[in-house]
Amino acid sequence: MRSAPRTAARRTTLPFYHQSFHNLQELRHNASLSNKVFVQRDYTEGTVCKFQTKFPSELDSRIERTLFEDTVKTLNNYYAEAEKIGGQSYLEGCLACATAYLIFLCMETRYEKVLKKISHYIQEQNEKIYAPRGLLITDPIERGMRVIEISIYEDRGSSGSSSGSSSTTCSSGR
Amino acid sequence: MPPCAGDRLKPGAFIPVATAAVLLLGSSTLFFVFIGPWLVESVSVAFPICAGVTFFFVLANFTMATFMDPGVLPRASEDEDKENDFRGPLYRNVEVRGVQVRMKWCASCHFYRPPRCSHCSICDNCVEEFDHHCPWVNNCIGKRNYRYFFLFLLSLSLHIVAVFGCGLLYILDHLQDLWALHGTVTLVIISVSGLFFLPVVGLACFHLVLVARGRTTNEQVTGKFQGGVNPFTKGCCGNMEFVLCSPLSPRYISKPRKRKPVQVQPPFLRPEVVKQSPSKIPDNPIQHEVLSNKLHLKEKTEVPESIQLSTPPPLLPPKHNCNLLKSHLDSMEERLRYNRPSFSSDHTSSELPKTLEPISRMLGPSPQNEDVASTQARVCFHDYSSEPNLDRQNEVDPVSERSSVLQDPHLTSLNSRSHSLRHAHQQRNRPLLPAHHAEGLASNLPQKVLLPGGLSNRSSSLSYDSLVSSRPGEHRSVTSRPHLGHQIPYLPLDSTLGRLPAQQRHSPRTCSPVFMSASRHSPQLQDPSQALYDSLSRGVMASIQERKELVEREDPQAACTSDSGLYDIPSRRSLPPASLSRGPTPPAYGSREFLLSSAAYGYSSRWGLGSSSTSSLTRASRTSGSSLQSHMAGSGGQGRSLSPAYRSLDRQAPHCPPTVPSSTYAHQNLLTYSSGTDRRDPSAADTQGSPETLSGI
Repeated sequence: MRSAPRTAARRTTLPFYHQSFHNLQELRHNASLSNKVFVQRDYTEGTVCKFQTKFPSELDSRIERTLFEDTVKTLNNYYAEAEKIGGQSYLEGCLACATAYLIFLCMETRYEKVLKKISHYIQEQNEKIYAPRGLLITDPIERGMRVIEISIYEDRGSSGSSSGSSSTTCSSGR
Repeated sequence: MPPCAGDRLKPGAFIPVATAAVLLLGSSTLFFVFIGPWLVESVSVAFPICAGVTFFFVLANFTMATFMDPGVLPRASEDEDKENDFRGPLYRNVEVRGVQVRMKWCASCHFYRPPRCSHCSICDNCVEEFDHHCPWVNNCIGKRNYRYFFLFLLSLSLHIVAVFGCGLLYILDHLQDLWALHGTVTLVIISVSGLFFLPVVGLACFHLVLVARGRTTNEQVTGKFQGGVNPFTKGCCGNMEFVLCSPLSPRYISKPRKRKPVQVQPPFLRPEVVKQSPSKIPDNPIQHEVLSNKLHLKEKTEVPESIQLSTPPPLLPPKHNCNLLKSHLDSMEERLRYNRPSFSSDHTSSELPKTLEPISRMLGPSPQNEDVASTQARVCFHDYSSEPNLDRQNEVDPVSERSSVLQDPHLTSLNSRSHSLRHAHQQRNRPLLPAHHAEGLASNLPQKVLLPGGLSNRSSSLSYDSLVSSRPGEHRSVTSRPHLGHQIPYLPLDSTLGRLPAQQRHSPRTCSPVFMSASRHSPQLQDPSQALYDSLSRGVMASIQERKELVEREDPQAACTSDSGLYDIPSRRSLPPASLSRGPTPPAYGSREFLLSSAAYGYSSRWGLGSSSTSSLTRASRTSGSSLQSHMAGSGGQGRSLSPAYRSLDRQAPHCPPTVPSSTYAHQNLLTYSSGTDRRDPSAADTQGSPETLSGI
């Protein structure tokens, strides 16, 4: 007989996954989404993409301020780098114009490259810092670059809640 | 199938773009076929080549302008919408390079539109840096494709000039063969190009000016920056560079990328708790017992999932032990300093002791009131410690909000009870505490209490709002909200305390902006007790609600006026002239107000009444049609009576003096509210705001 899966990922393969709270292991290691915090944009410098570094009070007990601020500042730096008007953007513009913008079919723009870097960075931050604290950051691009959505998860623990919580294997962005 | 309006629009929308494409392609093809060879022979081979290159650019830019995503913002998710609170203000103010810019709530997309963003009714999308909807390309022109549209206009102008010129040359050269095939075709080409020459070149020049000034068509047409400063301009060269050379922005609405999921699995790490005072006795079994006895007092409503604070809430001794309480005050102070670093730390650190000291002092001289005072202190502490919980109540259902003092049910019940004690005390005999103590408390405490609340983001204020207004079975009723001013936890004892003369205490009721989502009522500043509510526990708030109901029955007029304040620009109605003599509003509160209204953007307190007024235009109006709202808002501040769905709010309207929404960005600066002064003169409120709002920003 197959033993119950031990990791959350494997538990998702259970047939009645959503009801798996009956599983004792589920009861012990359940985390469910309890809240979402939205870090808004900082428009003091115009429409450049920049997020507020103000520490949300909901995260007060979940993560250290410095970690959060570092994350947001790094993201702001990435976006500033992406939106910088300089040599590379001139070149891209001219090349695009010259090729009737067909170059966009072949080549990735600088912004897209930086977005990929941002996505990797957020993934890494989630894995190393936020997920161990029961938080997940959603890539702002999925919210139209308006907010950084931070999902707060609660440990259902062995409360045996009858509300049928399911364990979480959440992607940092869908 | 009978054609409905929507169906008819769709094919109709393609007519201009089809016409433009046909004319462009057709004319140019004819040009190259009939006149090109003659040009090669008679003039030079360079002419057709240049014309060809120009036509090539025209086509490329036309295609990009037509098919490129202009910068559509995806709809906000439901969670974010709940945070914003559908009954929030219509506008949210933000400061961009020192200029107040108003962000409007988009009812379709469920978020506050970023600056320069506008909702296109034809495309039914919010578009970033919205310029206009161009029928000739059947697409919105926004941030991502404005450059291509601009280049399309320039290149098309050039192309039209070239075609017209070459055609004219041909005609002049073949005057005798005018009615031959070539001649006829050339005449057709010339007439078409001549017909479109003026409009296209005129539009190109118009956009050239716009680019140089750093404005969008939408901003130019609505006159946003006519009287004032455009905060988005980077200078002429900077603007040109920005339009032509900036990197291509990404698409927001794109296919979902497959990503490796990140597992979130308990147990979770928690941040380290700073040193706790040894005098704190969280594990005192006696305390637990006493507090658990008070659990029954807690209001029974559904309690959502709780968030555990890393630091246990302070459990105050049930005995009236002043020394213990005092040491606990010290420990709380330390903890608060740690937990609230986001507060202007100079404020908190320097004034917390001052804040807490009066409480300690209160405990000494009036032992007979110790119960009340100590419970007040408990409420104070609890307020601080419960701040995160309260703030987090963004998306919690309003009905359940009141009940959910999450991790601290004991203290909640305690506070409820303490509140009832205070209230009873108030009813009986107000000036029990020495006036100077209370005054010190009044002067210090509200500010400090406001600090935590002030720094909470808008959502927390919204949650307060719903908390205050919600009652069992009553969803977000705001009628009783103003009465909160009566039950002031921190100034219960002496109605003549500090800056709150007894007769003035009524006015805060009118503006319970503290609870209102972003109603930025400066009058509240006058009432520190009012402000204190923000940091009260939900249990206290619940009991406050009950009290409010009682008072409301006794004093419907006050309820009415206070209630109307919720929906109207607070400045107006909320403050009777007597309130003008109130003490200065603490700047912290002012910034809190602003923060409430601008979702804690952390900007300086240049919020002014203008901003507060715009942000509080109509709470309810967010759910009704925006155009109707703006119209109502512009028509004089009976903003509440916008939607039939909000009749309960409407009934307050007659009692409220008309208010005028604040105005353009430029005028916002003029409306800075100084803490000492009070309401703006209603006439000063800009009626320019009306056309602006009406213009459908």
